[in-house]
Amino acid sequence: MSAQFDFRKELITIIPNLRAFATSLTGSFDRADDLVQETLVKAWDKQHTFQPGTNMKAWLFTILRNEFYTQMRKKGREVQDVDGIHAMQLAGHPEQQGHLDLQDFRKALEMLPDDQREALILIGASGFSYEEAAEICKCAVGTIKSRVSRARTRIGEILGVEGDGDYGPDSISSQIIGVAPAA
Amino acid sequence: MSDREAEDKKLQTGNTQRSQQQQPASGLGINAAIGKQLKAYYDDVASEPVPDRFLSLLDALDEAETASKKNDRE
Repeated sequence: MSAQFDFRKELITIIPNLRAFATSLTGSFDRADDLVQETLVKAWDKQHTFQPGTNMKAWLFTILRNEFYTQMRKKGREVQDVDGIHAMQLAGHPEQQGHLDLQDFRKALEMLPDDQREALILIGASGFSYEEAAEICKCAVGTIKSRVSRARTRIGEILGVEGDGDYGPDSISSQIIGVAPAA
Repeated sequence: MSDREAEDKKLQTGNTQRSQQQQPASGLGINAAIGKQLKAYYDDVASEPVPDRFLSLLDALDEAETASKKNDRE
């Protein structure tokens, strides 16, 4: 009974992370919460297969990810296109200063291939190690590393930061390479 | 020490100081900027309180399980 209670309690603490990961996968808040709901039901049914002391967050992310790709296969690619439009619609009001950057970033993230986006989220936001992310995505550690690296490069290109003054040579390296520092 | 060596030394010292001040070189700067945005994007959702629908769902799952166990015993 008390073990049961702990499982539930632990599950609740991980829900915010599951929602954030699901949002990045589906590109839609509504679909993300449906996915989390299905994940919780699945996790509850198979809680006896969870080994206490192991990483429950990684266990739940794996269930959520499997559920997502199972649904994707059933529904086909057209769902994702509709979702891309949906994601753009949730971008909000551009006149809200300070949110501009985040909205641009959200769109850039949506443009990444699924495998690169999920690797970037797992490593850069969910706080998993490369090893854990590899286990969740059922691929090699090196594959995760290269996906994260390609994702970062691609986002940099999309946001146009490559060679941009904001991220260009700083004053010290500019002196060394002999160009004027970016203003 | 040649001028070149002195220059290298200055460069190394400069790099150390910059990393201590958390002002990484340009390549790392892009990654740091992306990392910051990524966190903001993620935390936008992850910082929200757990919606009631999920708490109700877990209650329902819990009750269903308790009920079925009770039925098994009877």
